[in-house]
Amino acid sequence: MSATLAGIVLVLLSSAIEGFAQVCLKRSAIVSTGKFRWVILGVSLFIFEALFYTGALQRLDISTAYPLGALSFVSVTLFSRWILTETVDPRRWMGLALIVCGAAVLVAQS
Amino acid sequence: MDNHRGSKRTLAIGLVLAIALDTAGQLLWKFSAATLPSTASLWPIVDAVLRQPLILVLVGVFVCQLINWLKVLEHADLSYAQPITSLSYVAVCAFSAHLFGEHIGPGKAAGILCILSGVWLVSQSKPLADSGPEI
Repeated sequence: MSATLAGIVLVLLSSAIEGFAQVCLKRSAIVSTGKFRWVILGVSLFIFEALFYTGALQRLDISTAYPLGALSFVSVTLFSRWILTETVDPRRWMGLALIVCGAAVLVAQS
Repeated sequence: MDNHRGSKRTLAIGLVLAIALDTAGQLLWKFSAATLPSTASLWPIVDAVLRQPLILVLVGVFVCQLINWLKVLEHADLSYAQPITSLSYVAVCAFSAHLFGEHIGPGKAAGILCILSGVWLVSQSKPLADSGPEI
């Protein structure tokens, strides 16, 4: 696997982790018992996310890696829809589609 | 009246600070990541991270960013403040060209602008605080 491809996989992973970590924090805010467990899980996931992103920065230009990190908006929305069954505004779906298109362009350029 | 003008100024300063801290944090992160060993295994990286003094500065920047952001949110709606801070995408890219010599061609610029407008649209969508189920 080339360094660039590995970097892209690392950014994608860190964005996916961000989505799940945010859902854990939101869950801690809405459960009536065991809040602490969700906070610990969320914070630990953020640490892993930071490590993966660091790995990505070693392999990619920051002008590629940082904007790609906006994919976390996509994972936050998907996870909160699936796990928390939140409803998603159509404008948000359009925004996410734009983020995905922009990310695809960046990946093609890197 | 004066109070209103004062809080508007505080908000403007807070937003500029938010973009500046965001940008500084990312550039520092990139700079310190470049000094770490490139290995696929986790522990050598964790070890190197703990030994890198720049990481402490980075953590300091993140703490300032969090405090400043909470302050900004006292003065403005999230849907107003968030799209403005996405200008840090532009700032990070501009600085990366100068500091790290990264090349930003028209394709990359178009991709970044597309992401920027996506983030802007996302932050314009309605927050539905109680749409989730009770657990």
